Amino acid sequence: MERLDRRLGALCATPMLLLLGLTFLAPLVVVAAFSIMPEKVFDLWHQPDFSAYVEVIRQGYWTSVAWALGMALVATVILFLICWPLAYAMAKVYRRFTLVLTIGVVLSLFVSENIRLFGWVLTLMKGGLIEGHLRAWFGTGFDGLLYNVPVIIFGLVYVYLPFMLFPLAQGIAMIPDDARQAAYDLGASRRRVLWEIDLPLAAPGIVVGGLLTFVLAAGAIAESKLLGGQAVIVIADDVETAFTYGQNWPLGSALAMVLIAIIGSIAIVGVSRIDLDAIMGRRR
Amino acid sequence: MSLRLSRRAFTAGSAAAAGLTAMGPLRRAHAAMRTDRLNVLCWEGYNTDDVLGPFRDLHPDATVRAESGTSDPDMINKLRAGEVNVWDLINVNQPWAKGQLYPEGLIKPLDKERFLPYFDHMAPEFQGPYPLAFADDGELIGMPQRYGPFSFVVNTDKISRATAEDQGWKLFLDPAMKDRYGILTYDNWNIMHMCLTGDLNPFKPLDDAGMAKFKEVAETIFSGAKLRSDDLVAMNTALINGEIDAYFTGGTYTASPARLDGLTNIRAVTPNSGPIDGKGGVVWIELTSLVNNPDPSALAPDFLEFVQKPEICKAVGFAEGTYNPVAQMGDPDVFKLWDADELDAIQWDTLAEEMDRSVEYDVVASYDALSKIYNVAKRS
Repeated sequence: MERLDRRLGALCATPMLLLLGLTFLAPLVVVAAFSIMPEKVFDLWHQPDFSAYVEVIRQGYWTSVAWALGMALVATVILFLICWPLAYAMAKVYRRFTLVLTIGVVLSLFVSENIRLFGWVLTLMKGGLIEGHLRAWFGTGFDGLLYNVPVIIFGLVYVYLPFMLFPLAQGIAMIPDDARQAAYDLGASRRRVLWEIDLPLAAPGIVVGGLLTFVLAAGAIAESKLLGGQAVIVIADDVETAFTYGQNWPLGSALAMVLIAIIGSIAIVGVSRIDLDAIMGRRR
Repeated sequence: MSLRLSRRAFTAGSAAAAGLTAMGPLRRAHAAMRTDRLNVLCWEGYNTDDVLGPFRDLHPDATVRAESGTSDPDMINKLRAGEVNVWDLINVNQPWAKGQLYPEGLIKPLDKERFLPYFDHMAPEFQGPYPLAFADDGELIGMPQRYGPFSFVVNTDKISRATAEDQGWKLFLDPAMKDRYGILTYDNWNIMHMCLTGDLNPFKPLDDAGMAKFKEVAETIFSGAKLRSDDLVAMNTALINGEIDAYFTGGTYTASPARLDGLTNIRAVTPNSGPIDGKGGVVWIELTSLVNNPDPSALAPDFLEFVQKPEICKAVGFAEGTYNPVAQMGDPDVFKLWDADELDAIQWDTLAEEMDRSVEYDVVASYDALSKIYNVAKRS
């Protein structure tokens, strides 16, 4: 009976799988195919070569990859440290206030990312909200807070906060209060409870939150452009340049494939280690 | 005579009829051009209600749509990706039409008899008529309208116009300018301007020595820049609040919004001298061309004619966002529509002499090699 169920399930899923295959995989296949085309061609009817990948290595694009991944990693760690206490409070301490906080954070997503970032530009720039007020009050100002690497990381932390906060809160909600209580009863310290109860049991939430923020931050472009004044060039910037000003679609595709391969590997390793069913609330 | 129709013959006939119906869209290509649709891919300005509204009133049964692009290559990518079926007109800067769009069959020639007379009413630079509106085979491939010198922009409270014009591009190599300027990252323009900074002609192929010089200039300019952005508003804001005193790559197109707001200390500058026959500035001129759409709209050439009307010329030149002179200002009926503040915003007082000191924006001969050097310098 169970086998029949499974077959029927597979049969019912086939149309959706085909649709997903077409709409999700087809563009990736096109990008992959373009990445092995010779330089500067605009269709796929050419003898494949790997010159675009050679170019990726030869032109030192690894620095852009390193900057993107490095800043994404730092932003993810900072986000975890900021969001853990907040998510803990949302899951275990606040009651009705959790709803207010959730609505507040979700509402910010209704405003376009670029507009929110431009708001920060007006706040942090020379003569902006902060520097302008300080100059008016104390007579001396400074050079503004924009156009450097720390401000890009600040932008990533600001924009991707909801993507860490909510999975983390979901993960923390999965920790049974009884387990914590039992640990305390057996004499465990706060730090030990955190290390041996909270973190392992909230791990699915931590992995999902970490992956979401890392993947999104690694492909982010607006923060480095608007806040950072392109103090460093990230890989997404190079992909855009190759497709537009460079008019070199194969190079842009190869750069995109490199990023997809790195992020994809990290995501697959991460996802394979967690039980998504558990975090989505289905328990067998 | 009796009509005998077997079931098989009936099936075959039905199939043939269905086939003909399915071929309807194909057949239409041979019939009259459609008049129910016009899609314009353009720089901001042609997509405003001030321009499209009156045209829609003239053609109430047609769906008239315009979408503004963020860069020339972005718009060209759309055509290359198969959207020739979607668009009827494309509006990009002058070298793209001749260098890439026409040779690749993405745009098609205009009717000379219909459009050449309009050149007679344009500013003197465009009468003759304007050479880059023509392909190598002599066909007319686009109509010019907006234009403007495009070199760099300074805050004249910090760097006087005379100093900026005299120093020209060398201003950005001056060690005293380190961390005092920004780079507006319109990459194709930056590459051209970096060549001019290194006393190189970007429109001729460069030798190894030229490439080495370009690399040195690109590295110096990127390392001395305080910020880089492809957003002209961000660049003007930084100039106004004093974070920078100048920005590399800019012109009346980028300075005009600040100037119309009364900040006339923000000024586009054209160098007094340079490496191309003594000229150091560059001028862009937009061309609007007919897309080689297999299902063409008869409204496309009509729209091209429509935007030559004085009030529409003004609406195109003074659309939201940026303000620019138009070639049709050579006609007194068009010119009288601009007031003194508007003329000051587009630096009309010096426009003619700046045009004189500028060369045409053209295809950069060694673009691919220079682009690689430029991008490495940008990342370093």
